[in-house]
Amino acid sequence: MDHPDGANSNSNTSGAQPPASTAEAHGLPQIGISEILGLVELLKSKGGREDIYKLAAELKMEFGDTLTVIRGAELLGLVHTPGGDVVIEALGEKVSRSRINDRKKIICEQLKKISLFQSVTHFLHDMDEQRATRDQLLEKLAELLPNENAEQTFQTVVNWGRYAELFGYNGDSESFYLDTESGK
Amino acid sequence: MPNGPTLFQFEHVTQKFTLPQGDVTVLRDIHFEAKEGEFIAIVGPSGAGKSTMLRLINGLLKPTEGRILYKGQPLKDINLEAAMVFQNFALLPWLTVAQNVELGLEARGVEPHARRKKAAFYIDKVGLDGYEEAYPRELSGGMKQRVGLARALAVEPEVLLMDEPFSALDALTSINLRDELIDIWSDRDIPVNTVVMVTHMIEEAIELADRVLVLSSRPGHIAGDLKIELPRPRDKRDRQFTEYVDRIFSLIA
Repeated sequence: MDHPDGANSNSNTSGAQPPASTAEAHGLPQIGISEILGLVELLKSKGGREDIYKLAAELKMEFGDTLTVIRGAELLGLVHTPGGDVVIEALGEKVSRSRINDRKKIICEQLKKISLFQSVTHFLHDMDEQRATRDQLLEKLAELLPNENAEQTFQTVVNWGRYAELFGYNGDSESFYLDTESGK
Repeated sequence: MPNGPTLFQFEHVTQKFTLPQGDVTVLRDIHFEAKEGEFIAIVGPSGAGKSTMLRLINGLLKPTEGRILYKGQPLKDINLEAAMVFQNFALLPWLTVAQNVELGLEARGVEPHARRKKAAFYIDKVGLDGYEEAYPRELSGGMKQRVGLARALAVEPEVLLMDEPFSALDALTSINLRDELIDIWSDRDIPVNTVVMVTHMIEEAIELADRVLVLSSRPGHIAGDLKIELPRPRDKRDRQFTEYVDRIFSLIA
C-alpha cells in the first residue's frame, strides 16, 4: 500500500482539492469494484455522510485500508471527502439506485475520464490489433506512473477495465486488449 | 411475492449422525413447508444444523426419521431442481469464469452450444461480462462469488440454496453482493424465484428474506418462523427492523 501512515494522510487537512487529481497523483488504489460499490451503498444507508474514523471502526477495517476504498470511490467520482468525512456524490446516489449492468456503464464512463485509463486506451489504439502483451503494458504503466508499483497498477487496470468492459485480458496468452465487442 | 403453491416440505424430520462416540442428533423434528417464490433465511448459531437442512433439500442426505416431500413427492435422490451457492465459492481454479459457469450445465447433459449461450446470459445477469476468460485466482472474493451465483443460476433451478454466501467476504463486498442479490432475485428474466439461504447473521436474514426460520442448537429445532413484512430495500435503522432483530435474538438465546 502506498500510505504507510494512513492516520496522517490528507483526510484531516483540506477537502478543497479536486478529487480526481488528488487521487490520481497517488496512482490507482489497489481496491476492487465490489468494495467501492459496497462503500457507496453503506454511505447511502447512513444518509449519505459519515466520519471516516467511525466508518473504519464500524467496518473493523484498518484505517489505511478504509482510505484506500474511499480513494477508489473518490477517483470514480462517487464520493468526496470534506474534512474527515466521506460524503456520497449525486453520481454515487445514482449508482446505488441503478441495476447491475447500468452500474457497469456508469463506471465505464468514469474510467474514460481518468487520465491513466485514457493513456492506456490510446496506447492500445496504436498497437497491432489493439492488443498488447502483459510485458508491454507493464512497461507502459511504469512509464506513466514511474513512482508506482507497475504490477499493482496492472492488477487494478485489468480488474476495473474488465468490470467496465473497457479492457479485456487473457491470462493464457498474456494478452491485453480493448474490449470492443460489448454492446455499449 | 410469496404464497405460491408448496414447493417442498419437511415432515417431522430428524437427522442423526453416527460418530465414534455414538449417535448425535443434529436436527430434531423439523416440520415446515416452503412456498414457491419465497425467500427463506435459516438463521441460527453454528452447530444448529443449518447446512444439514440445505443438504437435505439437495437430496445429498436422507433423513434419519420423517421425510421430505418435493412437489408432493418423497425426495429419493439428488434433487436436480436445486442448485447451491457455497461459502467458499467452490470454483475450479484451472477453469475460466465461463467454463466454471458451464460446469453445472455440463453435468446436466446440456449441449455445448446451448451451454455457452446459457452461461453467457447468466454471466451478464450477475455483472460478470468482461470477466469470461479470467481465472478464479485473478478475481476478488466478490467476483468469485458472482461466478458461484452465475453457475447455480445457469441451471435454472426451482430452488436456489445458499450456504453462508457472504461470510467469506469482507464487510463492504458483502454489502454490495447482498444488494445485487436482491436485484437479481427480482429480475423477471430469471426464472429462479425460490431461495433458501443459511446464515448466522440475523441482520442479513432480515435484510434479504421474506421469512426467517430460527433454529436453536443442539439439537437444531425450529424455535421461530417469522414473516418479514418490510418493503425493500430495507433500512437497518428502521425501528421495525430492529424489533425483528431483537425478536430473533431472543428466540436463539
